[in-house]
Order: sequence, then C-alpha cells, then structure tokens
Amino acid sequence: MKQHKLITILIILGLLPTSILAHEVSQSDQAILNQGGLFSYIYVGAKHMLTGYDHLLFIAGVVFFLKGFKDIVKFITVFTIGHCITLTGASYLGITANEHLVDAVIALSVLYKGFENLDGFKKIKIKAPNLLLMVFAFGLIHGFGLATRLQSFDIGSEQFLAKILSFNLGVEVGQIIALIPIVFVITQWQKAKSYEAFYKAANTYLVIMGVLLFIYQLYGYFI
Amino acid sequence: MNKFFLALVCVFLFSNHDMYLKMETYFLEANQMSSIQLFNGTFEKSENTIDRSRMLDASLLGNNNRYKIKEGQWSEKDSITFLSFNSGESATWVVGVSTKPRNIEMNAKSFNDYLEHDGVKDILAQRKKNNTLNNDAVEKYSKHVKAIFQVGENKTDDWSKSLGYPIEFIPLENPYLKYTGDTIQIKLLRNGKPLVNQLVYADFKSSKHGHTHNETNVDKHTDKTHNHTKNQKEEHSKTQGKVTHTHDGSTHTHEVEKKKDTSEKHSHTSAQELRTDKNGVVSVNLTNDGIWYLRTIHLENSTKKGLTHESNWATLTFEVKHSHNNNTSHTHTHEEGISSTVFWLSSIVLILILFIWFNRKSDKSEAA
Repeated sequence: MKQHKLITILIILGLLPTSILAHEVSQSDQAILNQGGLFSYIYVGAKHMLTGYDHLLFIAGVVFFLKGFKDIVKFITVFTIGHCITLTGASYLGITANEHLVDAVIALSVLYKGFENLDGFKKIKIKAPNLLLMVFAFGLIHGFGLATRLQSFDIGSEQFLAKILSFNLGVEVGQIIALIPIVFVITQWQKAKSYEAFYKAANTYLVIMGVLLFIYQLYGYFI
Repeated sequence: MNKFFLALVCVFLFSNHDMYLKMETYFLEANQMSSIQLFNGTFEKSENTIDRSRMLDASLLGNNNRYKIKEGQWSEKDSITFLSFNSGESATWVVGVSTKPRNIEMNAKSFNDYLEHDGVKDILAQRKKNNTLNNDAVEKYSKHVKAIFQVGENKTDDWSKSLGYPIEFIPLENPYLKYTGDTIQIKLLRNGKPLVNQLVYADFKSSKHGHTHNETNVDKHTDKTHNHTKNQKEEHSKTQGKVTHTHDGSTHTHEVEKKKDTSEKHSHTSAQELRTDKNGVVSVNLTNDGIWYLRTIHLENSTKKGLTHESNWATLTFEVKHSHNNNTSHTHTHEEGISSTVFWLSSIVLILILFIWFNRKSDKSEAA
C-alpha cells in the first residue's frame, strides 16, 4: 500500500513539469525579455532551469547520493558556485560554443552521476574521483550551457551585467523550486522498504538517459 | 551649415539601409507571445532604430482582420526596434511597416556609389548614358517592409492581401505551402499597379539545420555565378568603408561600421538577381531552407521642386522549410527538440519498469 502511495507521488510530481515544459518557446521568451525589465530575466532564468531536463536529472543524481540536509547544502552550493562562475563569466565575455556539444557534455554529467551512484567505479575497480570536485567541475559545464542559452537571446548592451546576474538569479530560484520536490520524493522514499529498488531504478534511468541524451546531442551536431 | 553637416555625416557613415521585418522563426504557436525585429541596415545587422513618428503605418493582418500596432508594443534594444505581440489565432499572418518620406542630399560620387552598391543598376546606367554621373542628387525616399509568418496549422489567404503601401511585394502563392526546392511567384506593386522590368534581389539566411536541394542548385549556380561573385565583391568593398552616403541618420562611427561589416561579409548565400516580367512578377527559386528576403529599390527621376530623384524601397521576408512529402526521407527531430511531455512520460514509464524489475529481484533474493 505504502509502495503504491509512493509511486503515485512520483507520477504526480513527474507529470507536473509536463504542463510547463516547453523547450521550443524561445520566441515567447524573447518577447518576454523585450517587454519586461530585469524581472523578465529572472523569470526566463528560472523557467530555463525548470524546463531543462538535463539540469534536473543531474541535480536529482547529486541529491540521491547525499545523506542529510547539511550534505545537500554543501554539494548544491558547490554546484551553484560552479555554474555561477561560467554562466556570468562566459555571458559577460561573450564566450559561447555549439549548443549541441555543450549539451552533450552535460548529458555525460548525468551519465556520470548515475554510474557513480550505482557504485560503477567500485565495480570496475577504479577509485572514484572526488565527488565535491566533480560536482564543481560539472557545475562549471552546466553554467556554460546556461550561458550559451542566455547568449542565444538578443539581450542588448544596456544593463548588460545586471541582465546576466538577473538570469543567474532566476536559475538559482528555478533550482530551489526544482530541488523541493526532488528532495521530498527521495527523502520520503528513503524510509520505505522499496527504496533500494527505487534507488537502482532511478540511477539506472540516469545512466540510460545520459547515454541517450549524449547520442541525441551528437546527432544534432553532426546531422 | 546643413550642407557641411550632411557632408560630415556622409564621410563618417556607412550606407546600405535596407529595412527588414525579421523573426527568429516564422512558425509560431497560436496565442503565444512573440517578437518581430525591425532592422534598418542590412539583413544581418541593424544600424539604427526607427522612431514611431516615422511610421506612417504599422499593421498586423490575419484572419481577414487588420490590426494597427499600438505604440506600446514597440521597444528598442541597441540598434534594433522590437515589436512584441501575441500571435493570436492560427492563420497565415502579414506584418507591415511603411515609413514617411525623407529627403537626402548627396554629392555625385556618393550617389553613384549608392546606386552601385545597392544594385540600382538601371539609374546608374541611365546616368552613364546621359553623361550625368557628375550631377549631385536630392532624393526623396521611403521604405515599405513586410513579413509573412505562419501561426499554427491554419493556412489562410491573408498573404495575398495588399496593405496599400506605395510599393509592395505580394506573393501569388502562399509561401507556407511552398517548400525548399520549389519556385514561388511574387508580384511587385507600385501604387497598386504591377511594376514592370524592376530589379529585385532575393536571398536567404540559412536555418540552423537547413540544407540545400542540390538538384535545384545545380541550375541556379550555373547561371547565377556572376551574381554571387558580384555580391561578394560588394560586401568586401563595403568593409573598406568606401561608401559614403546614408539613407537614415545612424550615429555610429566609421570604425564601428567596419567592424560590424567584417562579421557579416561571408553570409554564404547567393542572391538571385531577378527582374519583374510584364505582369510585375518575379519567380524566386527557393533553393534552401531558411529565411528568405526580397528587396528592391524603385528609384526614378523626379521633376518635383528641390528633388532630382524619388525612391520607394520594399522588402519581404518569410521562412521556407523542406517538405517531408517528397524524396527527402531523412528526419529532423532535432529541429523541434524532444517533446517535453513525451520525455517525462516515457521517463516515468521507464523508471516504473525499472523499479518493478529491481523490486521483484529484491523480493526474490529475500525469499531465497
């Protein structure tokens, strides 16, 4: 019975983003940015974080590994510092790269996290790299992906830094909003007997999605 | 004083001030907030914004209704003027802007350079023939620009309606029933009547994932090689900053213009140089996926007091995609991205399957 309840929670939380997810709305985002002030950048930043499933999958992977609130704060802070550096720096300096290639690396980060959570390194008898360092490094990559996204908009040159920082703030707001249900589902499920099966299922899913998203992005790049 | 100021402006400013209504994509969802950019410069770079007081008309036309664009819908960012609007109901929409006439005074050299670089060949040839190349010019000019975009799936005939501008491109077929590799016929009207034997340039900016239909391009490049080469030559000459007139008061310096133009000189497109037939119609070969733009400058001698010439500039933009009904068998799912709903639903199904599998495995090992 408890297991059914948990599955229901998962389905409901999983379905929630479907109503707001729309990666193909850059036109409307551009219109929002054109008409709104700095708040519109906060909104679009938050929206991008909430609709960018690669970011969400990685965050979910990080949270899976962590035990306790202190751990969550530590790792998420490191991830946040990482993506703030590249998001702000690359956007300000106008550094960009092919979106498919950046997203392909982000897909690898999802694959990496799922693999590590499943004790993949232990199984192949390799010492896992320092997780805090890896989360920071992936934070830098995710931030670069966000910077590439921001630079695809026409944001003009007035209040340039303020707009970048507002977008960054929006990303953090979106991250917090995304973290609440992710942490809730994982911590709730941790108490259940079926958690181990859920843990394995979710992290195997991360590995599969990491591979699929990687192939998908490379296909987009080459074709 | 005015002449001195004009000369100063001419020395430092760059020319080529075509006006375009541009969109990131011309395929919109219904009732979606969208934006259109009003470029004044080249198709690649806008040199300056357009004040609302200069606009005689700014309209959206769709589902047989014409809407006047409100002042508050316009905004500016750097040198680009933006129009924000709700895409409304599904239809083939037309957006147009028509500007008030202005006069510009040019010395003979500036005027000749402008004719050459903007491709106004007929008047240039006439000046050569009449031995009037040394004559200065006072030109009255105005610009009339349109874009046609598709909202949703409903193809309406709004594309065929005239906005009543002094000069105007009107397709004879719905551009959104045309695909890469097709030919589209477009009529050019001057004061509502077909404009015969008028030079029209058609070019495109490739889509991110666009491609060329080779079988069409073989023909095209064979007889358009000259045009392509010429176009490139023009682009390069612009970077050298030799053109010394303006058709709108940009305040950028010469150096800035040079830098901007360097970034745009290799557009990797080959403009088609066309002439309207006896019915005022040009046939444009839509060789590539992308945003297509037509431009023309109708310049004529003027006998009005204080003027030597009068010009009316027109542009039209629309987007072309390839058909999935013909022999282009490849898929392009990457253009639209993964549907979010499909992504999350399949994710949940996958997690559930994995969960049930791991749970059963765990139960079995416990039972054992």
